[in-house]
Amino acid sequence: MKLQHHLGGLEGLEGPIDFERRVFVEDWEKRIFGIHTAMMGLSASLRDALPGYDIDSVPTTFDSTWTWADLRTGAEAMDPFDYFRLRYYEKWLGGISAFLVEQGYVDRDEFAAATARYRADPDAPLPGRAEPAIDAQVQRYLREGDSPRRGPATPDFAVGDTVVVADPPAADHTRLPGYLRGRRGTVERVFEGNYAYFHSTGEDGLGDPVPVYVVRFDPHELWGASAEAHAGPLYAELYQSYLTPGPEARR
Amino acid sequence: MTERFSYPDDREAASAAQVRALEALLIEKGVISGQTVDKVLGYFESEMTPLNGRRIVARAWVDPAFSDRLVADTPKAVSELDLPVGMAGAEGEHLAAVRNEPGVHNVVICTLCSCFPWPVLGLPPYWYKDPVFRARAAREPRVVLTELGVPLDDDTEVRVWDSSGHSRWFVVPQRPAGTDGMTEDELAELVTTEAMMGVALAAAPGAGTR
Repeated sequence: MKLQHHLGGLEGLEGPIDFERRVFVEDWEKRIFGIHTAMMGLSASLRDALPGYDIDSVPTTFDSTWTWADLRTGAEAMDPFDYFRLRYYEKWLGGISAFLVEQGYVDRDEFAAATARYRADPDAPLPGRAEPAIDAQVQRYLREGDSPRRGPATPDFAVGDTVVVADPPAADHTRLPGYLRGRRGTVERVFEGNYAYFHSTGEDGLGDPVPVYVVRFDPHELWGASAEAHAGPLYAELYQSYLTPGPEARR
Repeated sequence: MTERFSYPDDREAASAAQVRALEALLIEKGVISGQTVDKVLGYFESEMTPLNGRRIVARAWVDPAFSDRLVADTPKAVSELDLPVGMAGAEGEHLAAVRNEPGVHNVVICTLCSCFPWPVLGLPPYWYKDPVFRARAAREPRVVLTELGVPLDDDTEVRVWDSSGHSRWFVVPQRPAGTDGMTEDELAELVTTEAMMGVALAAAPGAGTR
């Protein structure tokens, strides 16, 4: 069980919300966002993407898969204290740096030396190597994306069906919000098509294309006595792997 | 005694140096070019900005049939408008709109991470990613909305949408009273990112920005 999977509804965080409207609060944050987004646009996994990217012809030395699933897996693996201590892009910087060192794109000692150099001289320029074909692929990824839709829908459930959310073993990565485990809801919408996930989440159940639903939950089913006054419904988008038939549908 | 939440004195300077070193090495090693990061940032500064979302909402306000199409098939309706190329691109592959109406107020959250409709609203602001917001908005959205200055009567149903799947959700706020006769461009100015996530209302000029 990981705290990061159970953040929704967590009690005790009664303090005020930090209503910071800025996207970046430090200039350096923009650079790690740009690096992450470029890596997604150059990811080896885009070979199988629907827009038909010619990834193998892009003159980059990057030959790894880097997707949201990889970034999220890192965030979910963090010590929960660090998860709360660090700002959003500090988590990104830690996770992406670790990945690039581990994959051998960046040597640990070289990285430490370069960091010391820029620490001593923050205005030292970046290398100026031009490679328009890399930038063109990243731009194309931004414009055309990476839709997970694959094949026609094969739904086991229909609008109005009662479903009970599964409770699979905690995995390295999940798209199942913890507060929904074991809860009963009603199918509100069945999406057209099936949807894959970036990689298999193992026993958690994602990966292969499956139907996706909007499921409506009664707040009292989710929170019991902790539901707020005049509480309304909560809707979650759930992969079929996370749903089981409701009580009246069981044999 | 261990301090669990201490920060180094050079917190920002250290991160700034680390990210610059990382970018420099990635350029040297041929992973990215010297312009890649600037080009990514430029895309979000010039093309994928909240202006797109504001224009979508303003059109929905002046054209009820468009508003209905927007809710029924969001990607198709968005593609009708003259917006930058890429509305179905990264983090916009499957856009989904929900509409506020008298008696119904929608809030979009992402309790597992920070899913956000990039082409419609650009990149997510910090409040959306705040763990306290994500924890509380799921369980007590009315309390949170009251704190953030959104007035709600008891009869208004608050609907929370947790972005845990492939869709990227946004809210079509209600058109404020007193805006008859305003042009679509003028109306677009009344829409904020916060209103399109449901933590604010669109307000008529002079009625306050919340």
